[in-house]
Amino acid sequence: MGISKDRIKFNVGGRLFETTATTLANAGRDSFFGALFDDGWNLSPQDSVIFVDRNSDCFAVLLDLLRTGDLNVPANIPERLLHREASFYCLLDHVRSARWGPFDGNRLRLSDSVKGTSPGDGTAIRAGPDGGCCVAHGSVVHVYDWMLEEHSPINLDYQRVNDVGWIDSDNIVLSACERLGRGDGGMGLFSSSSGDLRYKFQVSHENQVKSYTAGALSFSPDYEIFASCKGRSNEYGIGVWDQITGKQTDFFYESPGWSLGDADKLQWLNGKSCLLVATLFPRKDNCYISLLDFRDKNMVWSWSDIGSPMAIDEKRVRDAIAMEDSNSICVVNEFEDLGFIDLRMYGGSVRWSSRSKLMKSKMPDEPCYPKLALHEGQLFSSMNDSISVFCGPDWVLTSRLRRSYGGSICDFSIGGDRLFALHSEENVFDVWETPPPPII
Amino acid sequence: MSNQKKRNFQIEAFKHRVVVDPKYADKTWQILERAIHQIYNQDASGLSFEELYRNAYNMVLHKFGEKLYTGFIVTMTAHLKEKSKLIEAAQGGSFLEELNKKWNEHNKALEMIRDILMYMDRTYIESTKKTHVHPMGLSLWRDNVVHFTKIHTRLLNTLLDLVQKERTGEVIDRGLMRNVIKMFMDLGESVYQEDFEKPFLDASSEFYKVESQEFIESCDCGDYLKKAEKRLTEEIDRVGHYLDPKSEEKITSVVEKEMIANHMQRLVHMDNSGLVYMLLHDKYEDLGRMYNLFRRVTNGLLTVRDVMTSHLREMGKQLVTDPEKSKDPVEFVQRLLDERDKYDKVISTAFGNDKTFQNALNSSFEYFINLNARSPEFISLFVDDKLRKGIKGIVDVDVEVILDKVMMLFRYLQEKDVFEKYYKQHLAKRLLSGKTVSDDAERSLIVKLKTECGYQFTSKLEGMFTDMKTSEDTMRGFYGSHPELSEGPTLIVQVLTTGSWPTQPAVPCNLPAEVSVLCEKFRSYYLGTHTGRRLTWQTNMGTADIKAVFGKGQKHELNVSTFQMCVLMLFNNADRLSYKEIEQATEIPASDLKRCLQSLACVKGKNVIKKEPMSKDIGEEDSFYVNEKFTSKFYKVKIGTVVAQKETEPEKQETRQRVEEDRKPQIEAAIVRIMKSRKILDHNNIIAEVTKQLQPRFLANPTEIKKRIEALIERDFLERDSTDRKLYRYLA
Repeated sequence: MGISKDRIKFNVGGRLFETTATTLANAGRDSFFGALFDDGWNLSPQDSVIFVDRNSDCFAVLLDLLRTGDLNVPANIPERLLHREASFYCLLDHVRSARWGPFDGNRLRLSDSVKGTSPGDGTAIRAGPDGGCCVAHGSVVHVYDWMLEEHSPINLDYQRVNDVGWIDSDNIVLSACERLGRGDGGMGLFSSSSGDLRYKFQVSHENQVKSYTAGALSFSPDYEIFASCKGRSNEYGIGVWDQITGKQTDFFYESPGWSLGDADKLQWLNGKSCLLVATLFPRKDNCYISLLDFRDKNMVWSWSDIGSPMAIDEKRVRDAIAMEDSNSICVVNEFEDLGFIDLRMYGGSVRWSSRSKLMKSKMPDEPCYPKLALHEGQLFSSMNDSISVFCGPDWVLTSRLRRSYGGSICDFSIGGDRLFALHSEENVFDVWETPPPPII
Repeated sequence: MSNQKKRNFQIEAFKHRVVVDPKYADKTWQILERAIHQIYNQDASGLSFEELYRNAYNMVLHKFGEKLYTGFIVTMTAHLKEKSKLIEAAQGGSFLEELNKKWNEHNKALEMIRDILMYMDRTYIESTKKTHVHPMGLSLWRDNVVHFTKIHTRLLNTLLDLVQKERTGEVIDRGLMRNVIKMFMDLGESVYQEDFEKPFLDASSEFYKVESQEFIESCDCGDYLKKAEKRLTEEIDRVGHYLDPKSEEKITSVVEKEMIANHMQRLVHMDNSGLVYMLLHDKYEDLGRMYNLFRRVTNGLLTVRDVMTSHLREMGKQLVTDPEKSKDPVEFVQRLLDERDKYDKVISTAFGNDKTFQNALNSSFEYFINLNARSPEFISLFVDDKLRKGIKGIVDVDVEVILDKVMMLFRYLQEKDVFEKYYKQHLAKRLLSGKTVSDDAERSLIVKLKTECGYQFTSKLEGMFTDMKTSEDTMRGFYGSHPELSEGPTLIVQVLTTGSWPTQPAVPCNLPAEVSVLCEKFRSYYLGTHTGRRLTWQTNMGTADIKAVFGKGQKHELNVSTFQMCVLMLFNNADRLSYKEIEQATEIPASDLKRCLQSLACVKGKNVIKKEPMSKDIGEEDSFYVNEKFTSKFYKVKIGTVVAQKETEPEKQETRQRVEEDRKPQIEAAIVRIMKSRKILDHNNIIAEVTKQLQPRFLANPTEIKKRIEALIERDFLERDSTDRKLYRYLA
């Protein structure tokens, strides 16, 4: 009696299924099955069969997902169909979390390559918080959800895009060049699903709204947006906006002999409550890295290679990333040599660890500058057509991600437990995932 | 093939765009609408969830999300309008029940409708940023039922009435109340606050305003506080039963304001029941209640503390300035200690050991103890009394307790140096007369004084103890080197270091031959062992035990002073002696001799000699003879000297003078220390700093400080600035 009470029969599109209420409970209350078994609905008597007018193959896959937590899609089922069916049962979240496991740089597998149609090189790729991504090409940004379906592309007056960033899974901020005299460009907030412009951010100098070019972006958990800004009357610096009101809350003007408004990279440091601003070669002749504290409008730390004895171009810093756990800033030169600067002292120098002069041997025709990323104690560095993964206190090279075609990697990004790598040729981006944990 | 005629292909535009039949949407919606009706009419048993869900899904899929969404709102609104009419129609007590019933039904229907519309909720609403189904259903209920004009005020009044009824002791249906209030909370914090909490607080405020006025006219303070406390717990209880926990703070602050803050002054000062009454009559429970209630309001404790302080000061002032009460120093101090104990208990049991109250207690004691200039003397006398005899039979721990309490009083003293003076005198007397009961207790107090005031304060006192110890050793050495002295009278000498002991002019007298021989022997022994020292006999401070046989052979041991011994020894060789003869033979100063003779001849029961003529006072012409008939039931008889325990007026003046004399160098030293480091300082600042530096010992008098500055200027330690006369310069 106890067993038979638990048992449920379905007729899905003509095919019979038998399962248990316990299995279906894994779907959660906010799903088709959760609602179906709510007390409010008088289910027909036990032995009768519940009819559902849906695809039976997909139902089988989803039922197995509820039974085992694993997603196994037979080759004959198109992804889109499965997603459509999962969406009907409100099980899309289940599918997504079964699809790939928690991120680990040393266990990544290439799961997909997406080809685009945009002309020219990509500027930036940014991973979204729930597994989607957006890719900036020239003056347009293409938006993909976690199913890698493309949504409407977004643009800000079709001005050249400098950076993009996800505020949350539904909101994207885009920074673009200004168009002289028109007030176009600047910075806008877009819906990731519909591509609509929701809000346009303004910059005021001395209570006057001015048009501006927005560059690198960063966000803080306190709902602030930071962007490097260039105005026409030398109003260079870092602007700060509130994510909720959209109003400009602060502006850190650049001091003479230093660079903020042209920055290549902004990074919010949560522990120090500071913003890292890095302006690098070749945008400028010299590299400037500084930490800004907006609470007392102070540059609390800075480093520059002005006047440092340098073996010509060899040690030019191409990207920088702050690592709060080890109190240092990691930098990389164009030969993928990593260097470290101590954040605890003022005016320290770069400690280079020349790992791999081997790389220098074969340089592709169209080199891309290295980029750095940090994710849960793993350091990632892109060079040409591969991404290296470094671990441990001494940053040992542990993995290398490489694909055979697509050319150099011009940008990559980690988020939503995925790594997206944008290649310069053929306008393709790769999606790397960690497979679900092994069965035993 | 090539010559085939060219044909012009005409490609027609694709005519059949795939459009869903518009009627399809209407039909589907009708099915869903009918289902919503059935759900509201609790007739859902025949509905197929799968079918309804699929229909709603299809509408969204085919881009009729908007139609579905507005349809749902319109249908639900219509239903709720109908429900509100039904609720409104409910009469009297059934009104709330009907509302609650309909609310529960609505919640259940809303849940089912959301289930049907789940796909729309997850996709269409998500991407269009509209209000989700569940919150939308709640705000529809709010707008169409709760805010419906014919329900809105009626609902509020019904709820407030019920609260009022409960406050006046009626029993209400708390479960129903909880459900309805819960409805407000479910509708959102702002609905709860605006539509219920705020009016509730206003009504409560009004209620307690009236009630507190009533109470304060009819109750005494203790009763009032009990009622206020009861009301407070009732309200906290109410929150626990059917209000939002966040309301607790707000409603208690209403009660606090109306019942306590607004009547604070009147309560505290209430005649025959206010704070002073409670303190006087040891109403610890009421005091505790007052503390706990007043603590809740701003300035509440401040008010209590102020009243307690002024009462304490007034009471203390009477205590220390009443000449009757300062007659017996021991009782005087005991009374102070009793008061302190009492207030300590008040603070620890009723006032939760509040630091600020302890401070108020301390400052009050400090204030009034120093109102009586003799407090230092009395405290020293109290110690003397305790260490002299009182402590016999008391366990060590108790001694410590008493001494600790005395130290507490000592801390309040401003003139600690005066205490030191007296303490030295009293200690000297105790030590020399061997009346110290416990060496440990004495030392323990010295240690306490040392920790309180530092090494300097007690170095001389400790010197006295050292002298006592050394004297013992010296005596052992003396008798060791003179074994022949074991026969005959025994001499015990206490060698006192000059300076460590209270100075007294050495009064010479002629010792009896037997004794003076011994004294000489000791002198040569002592000076033989210690070179470069000078011995002076302080005969006025010694005692002697002498054996006497009276007329009928009755033997007694008489415990007398050295002077008395000198007088008595004369009678070994004479039966009768005149005053003049005695004075000549002993050379004791007249005042001392008279006192000494008085105690030998005039004290009843202890008169070992008789006087001719019999009178109370000693005259120059009197003559004396042994009282052969002297009897006493004790073998040992102690002949006391007539001494005043408390200081007489001239003695007091003298001590005072000595204290003032001693202060002079201390003040000067302080001035020099300060000027040495500051170099230039103006008059007011010097006064302030000197006062501060000397505070642990005594309160320096500004005029005295000024005099000392003048003296230092005369001696070229300081000079006045040539331009600004108020500035002093230090001269190295």
